Amino acid sequence: MKIILEQLLNGLTIGSFYALIALGYSMVYGVMKLINFAHGDLFALGSYLGFTLLVSGSAYATVTFGIWGGMIAAMLIAAIGIGIAGTLIERIAYRPIYPAGRLPAVVSALGASIVIQNGIMVVWGPRPQAYSSQVVPSVMLNIGGIKITLMQIVVLIVSFILMGLLFYIIQKTTFGAAIRACALDRSTAALMGINIETVIFFIFALGPALGGMAGVMVGMYYRKISFVMGWNYGLKAFTATILGGIGNIPGAMLGGLLLGILEMLGSVYISTAYKDVFVFLILILVLIFRPTGLLGEKIAEKV
Amino acid sequence: MKRIKLLLVISVLVLALGIASLGVMAADKPPVVIGLQGPITGPYAVEGEMAKQSVEIAAQLINEKGGILGGRMIEIRIADDACQPKAGALAAMKLITQKDVVAAIQTYGSFVVLPASDVYEKFKKVNIAYGATVTDLTERGLKYFFRTCGRTDTQAKFFAEKVVPYFNAKKIAIMNNNTSFSVGLAEESREALQSRVDAGEVEIVYFDAINPEETDFTVPLTKLRETNPDVFYYTGHFPEAGLIIRQAREIGIKAIFVGGDAVVNQDFINIAGIEYAKGVYQTQEALIEFFNHPEAMAFKEAYKAKYNTIPTSPWSVYAADALCVLAEAIDKSGSTDSDIIADYLRNKMEEFPSITGPVGFDEIGDRVGSSSHLYVVNDDGSSSLIDTE
Repeated sequence: MKIILEQLLNGLTIGSFYALIALGYSMVYGVMKLINFAHGDLFALGSYLGFTLLVSGSAYATVTFGIWGGMIAAMLIAAIGIGIAGTLIERIAYRPIYPAGRLPAVVSALGASIVIQNGIMVVWGPRPQAYSSQVVPSVMLNIGGIKITLMQIVVLIVSFILMGLLFYIIQKTTFGAAIRACALDRSTAALMGINIETVIFFIFALGPALGGMAGVMVGMYYRKISFVMGWNYGLKAFTATILGGIGNIPGAMLGGLLLGILEMLGSVYISTAYKDVFVFLILILVLIFRPTGLLGEKIAEKV
Repeated sequence: MKRIKLLLVISVLVLALGIASLGVMAADKPPVVIGLQGPITGPYAVEGEMAKQSVEIAAQLINEKGGILGGRMIEIRIADDACQPKAGALAAMKLITQKDVVAAIQTYGSFVVLPASDVYEKFKKVNIAYGATVTDLTERGLKYFFRTCGRTDTQAKFFAEKVVPYFNAKKIAIMNNNTSFSVGLAEESREALQSRVDAGEVEIVYFDAINPEETDFTVPLTKLRETNPDVFYYTGHFPEAGLIIRQAREIGIKAIFVGGDAVVNQDFINIAGIEYAKGVYQTQEALIEFFNHPEAMAFKEAYKAKYNTIPTSPWSVYAADALCVLAEAIDKSGSTDSDIIADYLRNKMEEFPSITGPVGFDEIGDRVGSSSHLYVVNDDGSSSLIDTE
């Protein structure tokens, strides 16, 4: 029983990373009907930004702000940096080709992904980098026989706070209502006086900012970062988006957490080698019975 | 005074002319171009970079001695395969289509070598692998394929017959990362242990694979912890191995951690952190830092002079080995023809003194007399050889 609880926490930790990244995919798809394939690489860029902030200058941030202050500072600066990078990508790679339709934009997204990935390789080098142990607290806890690291708790709490915050913004504020209106029908929303440009700017800043923060947390939690890490996380997060219902914010969160737990179940009860087979089997089953994902709403075909 | 100045000017001019004419003489003879296919980019770029440096140092040493075939210099041409099978076949094509490439040294990762060696075979180019230990590679009847590194079955046997008894281990956990090399080493280790398993002396309590592209292994590791092994043998590669050892220790796995031959290098130590990397064992081929014969010393010296360190991975040194044996074969056979070089390597080369010791090839292109050893990571990140006898 204790083992299963411990494994559940392990699965939830993985899942919360997927969920944070999935939110970025889902928000952009909701409004733009575009799959931002560069999102996974923006996440990796966030990791490297955090790495530079925390490790460079002999851990200047940690020395100045303390170990927790350094972590918070790195996450905030990475969020701002990646938010800016996200809007820049929208300006450079997507905006000029919106009139051409959705397919060219997807191809452009793949191009942006390759550019960022190789850019990281050129700047930071092809070797995997490691967050040094002095910038991250390494504390093992034993709560009633369940072994858990302090960072695991931090990751879980921070992820849930961020997800809650985003949920609040989208569901409870006027601006969130504007985003939801754009997701429903962009031209009607424009006629109602919603500034589409601002909404697009906002989602392309907020989604990547969340991804960037997830990137810093992945770096702090696992220590190892590599310039190709965005691909695998991006793929898993995209799967989570589909599982939860693309374009749906709570769906992305649910999908991410569920994917983490499904992977855990597959790994524990079948075999780690075949866990992805198990996960994608579940995904296929879900899509057969609910093609729009678990929480996805029916999208009326526009004629 | 004036006369001395004039004399100086004249002598400088003469010298300059002499050097220039030397240059012209060298340019008269075209270089012998040898291709190097390696993971210059991608997740294993560190291996590619080290291989490139090592091969260039080996070429530099040969060129300083006057080159081969009566004064022709060796030139290295790089093709990047990013450690991907598809890119590997393309990189092979890229080298083959350049007419002046005589032979190729190819690459890190058995799953990349596999398709690439087929391409080289088809176009009759001698290719020597340096970081490809999967047993089957040389069992396919290829005529132009050789390797300077050992085979996984040798290593698996070493693990089963030397390492397990050395630790007096009863319960063994084996984990691989689903690449052909890693699965091969894991399965061959299991087979090599089988007779002792049947006799009830040891027990394989865990046998599974992980996905190397992931970063979180706490779930499979928690499962592994519950089987309570004495020895945990990980047969994958260093990027995820660094994560695995740390996560394993953090969740309380106390087993002796033994890595396969692709686990320990500087990046492994950086990722794991020295507090977790120290005391990690590896089954590994002979490492360059433990060699003392003249060829190895010359190589280490030249490498250190240029890069201020010595190669930490054995594979890059095998790449340098491959260059040395190719140069020797081309020089001694006096030909750049693929068939003649292949014949020389297979039938006429015996105990050629190379960087990692004497090199010779058997009928199927495997290196004769390669061996495995057990090493442990010290507190300062260096490695020590362990006597398992």
